[in-house]
Amino acid sequence: MTEHYDVAIIGGGSAGLAALKQLANLGKQAVLIEAGKQVGSKNVSGGILYSKRPKRGSTHNVEDVYENFLSEAPVERKITKYILHAVSKDKEFAIDLTSAHEYQANFAYSVLLNRLNGWFAKQAGEAAEKQGGGIVSGVHVRSITLNDEKTIIETDEIEPFEVKAVIAADGVNSEIAQLTGARPKFTPAQLYQGVKVVVKLPEEIIEQRFGIGPDEGAAHLFSGDITLNHIGGGFLYTNHDTLSVGAVYHYDSLLGRPAEPYTLIDALLKNPMVSEFIKDEVAVKQEIDKSLPKEEQLRIRFAVSKLVKTWNELRDAHYSPAARRKLVEAGKYKSEDEIKARLDSIRNELQTKYATRFVTDYVELEYSAKLVPDGKRCMMKKPYHKNVLFIGDAAGRGVFIGPRIEGINVGIDDAVRAANSVARAIDRNDFSTLGEHYTQQVEESPFTRDMREIDKDYLKTFLDAAKDVPKDIVGQRYGMIFRLMSSGTFRGLAVGFANILGYDKLLPMVESEETYVQVPIEIAERLGQTVTATYTPTIPGVAERIARLKYDDDRQPHIKVLDPESEFMKKLVMLCPTSCYSLEAGKVMLQHEACIECGTCAKETEWRHPRGEKGVIFQYG
Amino acid sequence: MGVTGSAMKELNLAVIVKLEPDFSEGNVSYNADGTLNRAETKSILGPHSAIACSAAFYAKVKYGARISVGTMGPPIADAALAQAQQICDADELHLYSDRLFAGADTWATAETLRAGIAKMQGKMDIVFSGHRASDGETGQTGPQTALKLGYTFLGHVIDYEVDMDRRVVRAKRLITLQGFYDVIEEVEAPLPVFIAIDPSYKPSFNTVSQRLAYEKYQKEAKARVANYKQYLKVFNAQQLEVDPKMVGLPGSPTIVYKVEKIPKAKASRKTEVIDGSNRAELRRVAIKIHEVLGGMVIK
Ligand SMILES: Cc1cc2nc3c(=O)[nH]c(=O)nc-3n(C[C@H](O)[C@H](O)[C@H](O)COP(=O)(O)OP(=O)(O)OC[C@H]3O[C@@H](n4cnc5c(N)ncnc54)[C@H](O)[C@@H]3O)c2cc1C
Ligand code: SF4
Repeated sequence: MTEHYDVAIIGGGSAGLAALKQLANLGKQAVLIEAGKQVGSKNVSGGILYSKRPKRGSTHNVEDVYENFLSEAPVERKITKYILHAVSKDKEFAIDLTSAHEYQANFAYSVLLNRLNGWFAKQAGEAAEKQGGGIVSGVHVRSITLNDEKTIIETDEIEPFEVKAVIAADGVNSEIAQLTGARPKFTPAQLYQGVKVVVKLPEEIIEQRFGIGPDEGAAHLFSGDITLNHIGGGFLYTNHDTLSVGAVYHYDSLLGRPAEPYTLIDALLKNPMVSEFIKDEVAVKQEIDKSLPKEEQLRIRFAVSKLVKTWNELRDAHYSPAARRKLVEAGKYKSEDEIKARLDSIRNELQTKYATRFVTDYVELEYSAKLVPDGKRCMMKKPYHKNVLFIGDAAGRGVFIGPRIEGINVGIDDAVRAANSVARAIDRNDFSTLGEHYTQQVEESPFTRDMREIDKDYLKTFLDAAKDVPKDIVGQRYGMIFRLMSSGTFRGLAVGFANILGYDKLLPMVESEETYVQVPIEIAERLGQTVTATYTPTIPGVAERIARLKYDDDRQPHIKVLDPESEFMKKLVMLCPTSCYSLEAGKVMLQHEACIECGTCAKETEWRHPRGEKGVIFQYG
Repeated sequence: MGVTGSAMKELNLAVIVKLEPDFSEGNVSYNADGTLNRAETKSILGPHSAIACSAAFYAKVKYGARISVGTMGPPIADAALAQAQQICDADELHLYSDRLFAGADTWATAETLRAGIAKMQGKMDIVFSGHRASDGETGQTGPQTALKLGYTFLGHVIDYEVDMDRRVVRAKRLITLQGFYDVIEEVEAPLPVFIAIDPSYKPSFNTVSQRLAYEKYQKEAKARVANYKQYLKVFNAQQLEVDPKMVGLPGSPTIVYKVEKIPKAKASRKTEVIDGSNRAELRRVAIKIHEVLGGMVIK
């Protein structure tokens, strides 16, 4: 007997979860199917979550969907400082873009998706349960049958079930889009490859180093040679006691000049400014004297490991007011001074007894990658197929303009619009106009406008912030356009012209190596200060990065190479962030075990997400 | 949907569990005479009991059953009951604890459990037990309790379903004919039954409603375990209304006369501890392996 539910939501990223919560808010029954064992284990972001307040129209913000968001959500830090650095080797020139960041924004928080989506899931799941629905995780949707009469969802793990409507929130590498034929796969020109590492850094050190108060956060953006001359840019966001450091690279640019993602991110980490941002004190154990008796060697090994572990944990607590208080309240230490004294004594013991060295280096916790859809180039014009509505990354929707990367908030806005349309169809018991109604709702979204045309007011805040940059650097390259744009009188006119031209004509001119690389390099060279590195970071190799990730191995590969001799696939040998491809006798071979499901190889493969619970399990995201 | 409507009579399930010494991670400790030192050995819910709990949980998810868990043991056994509640979201926890129960063999234990099951809320439709305990090979407790309850006994069950309309259980039993082959026998029995779960049992939840119910009850279990004492009832012999001559040592026809330690054979292998961080050492190991493999013919 087939089970029936009103709505199926496929994919439990921030978009799908918001759809579930909104449907529950409207009293509708929905089940969300997520492939990862735990919600949040498959999602990757930069990431800054915005709440917006546009002048024209309105957006559905995260706090509208989750009424307790501001008081309870596990966000990292409220971003109060937003700086763009033009970089050339060891030179950098900073432009304070805080006003552009605050443009039409209620607030913005740095977030780590594993934690945040886990919290969203708790809220949405509990609300959905009350309507007879909920979240089913660890299940991978394999196919959808769409008859005139029936919509049946089939999965790898559980029995098929029937629904009235589907919300596809299965991310940038949407299988549902392929299964339904709703859109072709995105092309490299429409995508960026995002690569990120999470770096550990104690709470109060972050605050001192970035000049921020408790709970405040800073965002630093980088452009110039830091991308090894690829179109794209780097970012560093402060979290509570970690940093998110990463970059996005235009996929077309990467195909033109293939480079390993880890080489790219290593270039970012090695840049003196970035390496100074991420540096920390690290204990380095002394090699054990091999002439000692075996038992003595073992004893030393265990003693040192234990001391180093205690030192690390206590040090984190020492730099965290809340943790310090907790230790004292629990009676483990009499005072905060005693914590410091103990910390110093452990350090001293390690140094004197075991010759442990304390050096400057950085601590990497997680390496991740994911494709980012550039909404300007790839948002679906018709984001539905029959009664299947596409939202978030699956619909190719994201605002990607200059330093702005916004996908989480856009997906949440889409989710509310899709949920509202579905609820309306259920109330009328008429799904015949569901798709068109949703398309209309999406058309009204201010984000859709941002993906279509230039906002001259945003441009003004941007240009005002960059007013210290001599006009000739930019001017000699863009001449007329730039002079028009910079002038208050003519800006409207110029933007008007640009918008008539449309993004598709404009983008190749603006999103070029010139803009992203050459101009920043010139700015840095002419105006920048020199940053001197005080150390060289010890960067883990790709094998070590993979070894630190968690996986639930699936023996059955989820990706099938179609043509092992294609030129595209050969480039994947370099472009796969975890080196899953190798070239053997002119043929590309796949070893899927280390795959982190970024989607970079999706274009010319039969690409699926791993079966339920299988594959990579991100701890931070 | 999977969860059967309230029109039908609810299922009442009991699970009888056992607190067992934790044989893992070097948690066991022995007395000088070679017997188990129970006072010093850390105790946990026995692995077979845990499987029995998950079998009961299956019916809770699938049919919305009520679950009572009972065990006989010292007051500290309530920790094992909390572990059991975590697995099966038990609605009721019973601990049968009395000095009078000490020294019980399986027959006397069965008497205590029978009396305990009678005290559980509602009449039990299915009683689950683990395959056997890992510390005493006391596989008889289950069948003996079934006998005393007058329930049909189904052993080695690897899968079961309940037909709620007809109130019968259909079960698959794994029968190992030593030296021959394994047989899966399908049996049907009217409720009430006593099910001893086979260690290979693994529940599978394969519809959306079961998955949702699973999540819901798991969450509920977590919340319940946080204050499990609220669900706990402790009974002494008097409260259980058992005949003191039928329980504990007086009620035990079996006498353990002597436990023989099996002498350890002297190992013929030579061990050597290698420091895994030392390259030279590792190289020496590699050479050794090479030598050994060199003498082997690999087909
Ligand atoms: C490096 C980087 C930096 C970024 N920075 C920012 C930023 O600062 N701010 C911002 O707003 N956005 C940023 N983004 C974009 C943002 O992260 C994404 O837009 C957003 O996370 C997408 O959410 P989603 O719910 O649409 O998709 P996803 O998070 O990809 O979720 C899709 C889910 O569907 C599941 N799924 C897929 N297929 C199936 C199936 N067949 N069956 C069951 N489940 C399935 C997956 O397991 C996954 O959990 C960044 C992205 C990257 C990569
Ligand atoms: S195999 Fe493909 S999807 Fe997996 S990590 Fe490599 S490029 Fe990304």
